[in-house]
Amino acid sequence: MTTTDHAARAAARRSAKPGRKVLIRVKRCEGPGKPSRFETFAVTIERGANIISCLQQIAANPVTVEGTRTTPVVWDSGCLEEVCGACTMIINGKVRQSCSCLIDEYAPAEGDVITLEPMSKFPVVRDLWVDRSRMFHNLKRLRAWVPIDGTYSLGAGPRESPDAQEARYKLSTCMTCGCCLDACPQFLLAESPASWDTSFVGAQAFGQALLFNSHSTGAQLKNDRLEVLMGPGGVVDCGNAQNCVKVCPKEIPLTEAIASLGRAVTIRGFTRFFTS
Amino acid sequence: MTTAHTQSHQGPLDRNYFLLRRLHSLTGVVPIGVFLLFHLTTNASVVWGMLDSREGEALRERGVRTFQNEVDFIHSTPFLFLVEIFGLWLPIAFHSILGLYYAKTGKGNTASYGWAANRRYSLQRLSGYVGVLFLFYHVATLRWHWTFLMPGGVAWDGERAASTLALVLRGASEAALEAGASYTLGGVIVSLFYMLGVSLLVYHFANGLWTAAITWGLTISQKAQQRWGVVCAGLGVALMALAWSSLLGFMTLDPKDAAAIERSHSGHKGPAMQLGDSQH
Amino acid sequence: MSELRVIVVGGGLAGLAAAVRIAEAGLPVDLFSVVPVKRSHSVCAQGGINACNEVARQQGYSEYEHFDETIYGGDFLADQHPVLEMANWAPRIIDLLDRMGVPFNRTSEGYRDLRLFGGSLFKRTHFAGATTGQQLIYALDEQVRRYESEGKVTKYEFWEFLAPVLCDGRCVGIVAQDMRTMQTRAFRADAVVMATGGCGLVFGKSTNSIICNGAAAARCFRAGAHYGNPEMIQVHPTAIPGADKLRLMSESARGEGGRVWVPRRRGDTRAPRDIAEADRFYFLEEKYPAYGNIVPRDIATREIFDICVNQGMGVSGENQVYLDLTHKDPDYLTRKLGGILEIYEKFVGEDPRYTPMKIFPAVHYSMGGLWTTYTPGSYAPAAPRTKHKSGSAPPLNAAIGQGMQPGALNNAMTNIQGLYAFGEVSFAYHGANRLGANALLSCIFDGLFCGSSVVNYVRSEGVSARPASGMQPGAFDAAAEGQVKAGAALLATATDAPGDKATNPYVIGKELGDEMTAACTVVRTEARLKQCLVKLAELKDRYAKVQLSDGAGWSNQAFGYARAVGDMLAIAEAIAKGAEVRKESRGAHYRTDFPDRNDAEFTKTTLASYDATSGAASISLVPIDASLIVPTARTYGKKDTEKPEAKAQPAGAV
Repeated sequence: MTTTDHAARAAARRSAKPGRKVLIRVKRCEGPGKPSRFETFAVTIERGANIISCLQQIAANPVTVEGTRTTPVVWDSGCLEEVCGACTMIINGKVRQSCSCLIDEYAPAEGDVITLEPMSKFPVVRDLWVDRSRMFHNLKRLRAWVPIDGTYSLGAGPRESPDAQEARYKLSTCMTCGCCLDACPQFLLAESPASWDTSFVGAQAFGQALLFNSHSTGAQLKNDRLEVLMGPGGVVDCGNAQNCVKVCPKEIPLTEAIASLGRAVTIRGFTRFFTS
Repeated sequence: MTTAHTQSHQGPLDRNYFLLRRLHSLTGVVPIGVFLLFHLTTNASVVWGMLDSREGEALRERGVRTFQNEVDFIHSTPFLFLVEIFGLWLPIAFHSILGLYYAKTGKGNTASYGWAANRRYSLQRLSGYVGVLFLFYHVATLRWHWTFLMPGGVAWDGERAASTLALVLRGASEAALEAGASYTLGGVIVSLFYMLGVSLLVYHFANGLWTAAITWGLTISQKAQQRWGVVCAGLGVALMALAWSSLLGFMTLDPKDAAAIERSHSGHKGPAMQLGDSQH
Repeated sequence: MSELRVIVVGGGLAGLAAAVRIAEAGLPVDLFSVVPVKRSHSVCAQGGINACNEVARQQGYSEYEHFDETIYGGDFLADQHPVLEMANWAPRIIDLLDRMGVPFNRTSEGYRDLRLFGGSLFKRTHFAGATTGQQLIYALDEQVRRYESEGKVTKYEFWEFLAPVLCDGRCVGIVAQDMRTMQTRAFRADAVVMATGGCGLVFGKSTNSIICNGAAAARCFRAGAHYGNPEMIQVHPTAIPGADKLRLMSESARGEGGRVWVPRRRGDTRAPRDIAEADRFYFLEEKYPAYGNIVPRDIATREIFDICVNQGMGVSGENQVYLDLTHKDPDYLTRKLGGILEIYEKFVGEDPRYTPMKIFPAVHYSMGGLWTTYTPGSYAPAAPRTKHKSGSAPPLNAAIGQGMQPGALNNAMTNIQGLYAFGEVSFAYHGANRLGANALLSCIFDGLFCGSSVVNYVRSEGVSARPASGMQPGAFDAAAEGQVKAGAALLATATDAPGDKATNPYVIGKELGDEMTAACTVVRTEARLKQCLVKLAELKDRYAKVQLSDGAGWSNQAFGYARAVGDMLAIAEAIAKGAEVRKESRGAHYRTDFPDRNDAEFTKTTLASYDATSGAASISLVPIDASLIVPTARTYGKKDTEKPEAKAQPAGAV
């Protein structure tokens, strides 16, 4: 967040009055293949209100501004403290978590409008709820795990410098929310799981590939991961628009991860050509 | 599940996916980028050539002569045809075709996410599309003499490099030469298209050089990417200066004067070519 | 072909650990979760995970002392043998997590770093930044994904557990519903592991995730499983009030000098920094001059509660007090407390370096849960020992099997054969109060250690000779049919008409949360509990006529919520009744009418059981296993986790 953003948000918060009404405009869709429409709800804002509390208020009394009774808005949520990644959606055109989206910053004045839409790169289940299984599939595709020899006690893991730990920890805070993918011009909606294995993997999985390549036991699968990253949909398809790193709520250095993998596949390419 | 095991089921395109991607990136720098650098330098000689102006010689005259010397030098390259085929046309075709295909795999979203790098991403693709179109026009009109695409119907002539080019940009015909060719509407359009096309290609090269460093893993940290970005921007500005100076140089060049200079120039080495008698 | 399989319900730390251990043993696992497992509530744990370690050991610490601390911290309510086994296993669990790639913080030499935590004088808490729970669950998630890609684990995400399928007194499967397609069906399994976490949502807003409604536990409870110590609910003193939930504010804020206060004058509307020192009421410092703001967690909780609820002195007349750090150097605060201050800033929008935080206690953890059994291990002292002297030589060598018999079929099994309970949904280990950084340990320990018991049970002669896959479909069809009918009946209540507030599930849920928070959290009295039970009866009546506002047969969340409200009511009743029966104060359970611990009558588990005919919970008291340590007075603090000595230790978040 830039300093000016910060100042603007703080100013918005200061001017915001509890008890005001704001309008929540929600893109509704009853299910896959069904048409979508917008519905607008007037919501009374209490102190500390966020998108979640507004949607909860709507659920308890689902009546639009026109006075029409409708159904509660369906959306995905979990921890409500921006660590599980569930409640990601598009708010006023930009993808982010809805729990950490404070109404006082987005709609400080009476009658302000906030528009909610489902993520655009994943199939809609209903309303704001989307199916993000592709992200988990991609983790399988990249064998994003440490291949340990079972769960019985075999002593401690490898030693690691604080710097290395810090770098891995940062990558490991990825909560699979999908912001980086939704904002990526190279990552497109792919409804059919059959196409997932050749479609663009995206920054989320790149970060995880680097995470496991950076662990001494995890690196045993490094070449397998690099082979995938060198193929269709791999890191070679990245177009360097660098939106991923800007929208990542955990500030994971995704573009650096992409460049690191770029170097790794370059080296792997030469090795493959000249050695193996 | 996809792992390395599924490699064997892939076709040759998929198996060589990485190689093709890297060659696409590489050809953009070498030879295409390097050629662009030389080409723009050569063209700009109509301007920088003036620096070499001799006592009593008009500035313009020296520029036109230098440009003609550059063109003559290139045309004297042995096996020019083969060099052009393998060093230029094939790489450009390869880079363009793959580039068009790759560009189709993305979908710009600058309306929602208007950050600089994202705009550059979209512009890179747009400049690729326009660049391919421009290059085609450029080659079709100046090398293949598809004169029907040229407002003045004039063919560029390597022996009278500056004057015919000035005519092309003015959209004027050979007949208008002696009368003092002025700009036609078509000429204005052609000139603007040249300015646009060349600018986009310069951008495409400079930005491509910046992203190539990430793709190949040369620049990794944010800081390194920024540093390299400054270098690429600097190179882009320099190339843009060359491109614009040469274009402006030709656009402001009076074809009549240029033709006179060329006549005296060619007089030193042999009989002047007749108008429209192209070697190509 | 293996016809034996296991169902694990819940994809948090306990469920994932169980799935890994069971799949590793070669049994196919079906893993059910209402959310993608990686989004389970375990991600919210911050502080760390406790285990004896070499550094502490060389200073006199031992697995035995960890065991002793946990029993003492739990106010002697936990069955003791399982706690001993857990403490003995803790170092091995840390090693395993380390091998899985958990990015534990490191010392400069590259060893795992340690931090101090409440309830111990030794550094015994391993941590990964301020998101240890997230890092642990990710590591286990990755291992499960590995087995999933090998076809050994099948995930059913967004599937909700509805009921266990029982046949001849044995649990042989579950009924579950896909909350996207709304398809309901039965699944067969030879053992079912419940790892479904806590029930914070019963209290409306808590530090828990939105999914922690306790419904799965309630459904087992209603199917005949016993529920142990329901009244033991941990309330954390400092959380950030929010419109949707209460987010934890680690007590390290007070450890670093944070001061708790309210304006002296009720209804003072001035901004906090405009209120002069003389007009501020530093109530903890005034009432506890020795410890000030660093009083133990339970005391802090009760005092804050008293100021707001009983005296109406909360800031702006609301349930909140200031936690003030603005007198400290902002750079120092950033260095020491950066992570938690950022959470506050992100969600409240105010910078706690310059504006006092507004905080209030919040329901945090359920020590109670499904009642489970075990087979005691080899350690059987002639008489229970007295409290272990900190740092002295342990009486035991921490060998495997001293606490619980490894692989015994009944370890962590509920009273229903084949139905197991792991993690927070189990009542084991934490007694009347959980120590910070012990929760992650108990979840993973259950999954790994008791996971082996599940494997042995499924392969035992009685089960493997009659696998669920070979049973007649009758019991499964009937169970599924019952749930389909109940679901259809609930869905049929959907109406387009402006709903009656009294039968609106969201209104009932909110009133339930408000009532439970008022009656069953920090301070409890006979009269208030009785009043609460009356209110619960009223809510039950209203719930019987509940009306949905959405009749869709596709991804209907209103339906899912309304159904869970019925289950939350069942758990709420068990909590209130347990609190009423336990006429003493112990750990998190504080009765003003019975302020002291009563060992003679109440060193017992409150065992709730559900009467299907009346639909009511009844409570009985059953003896506990206190054969290893003699109960002694809990001298640190009054009734809660922290030693006064811990005041100098900046304890991390829990």
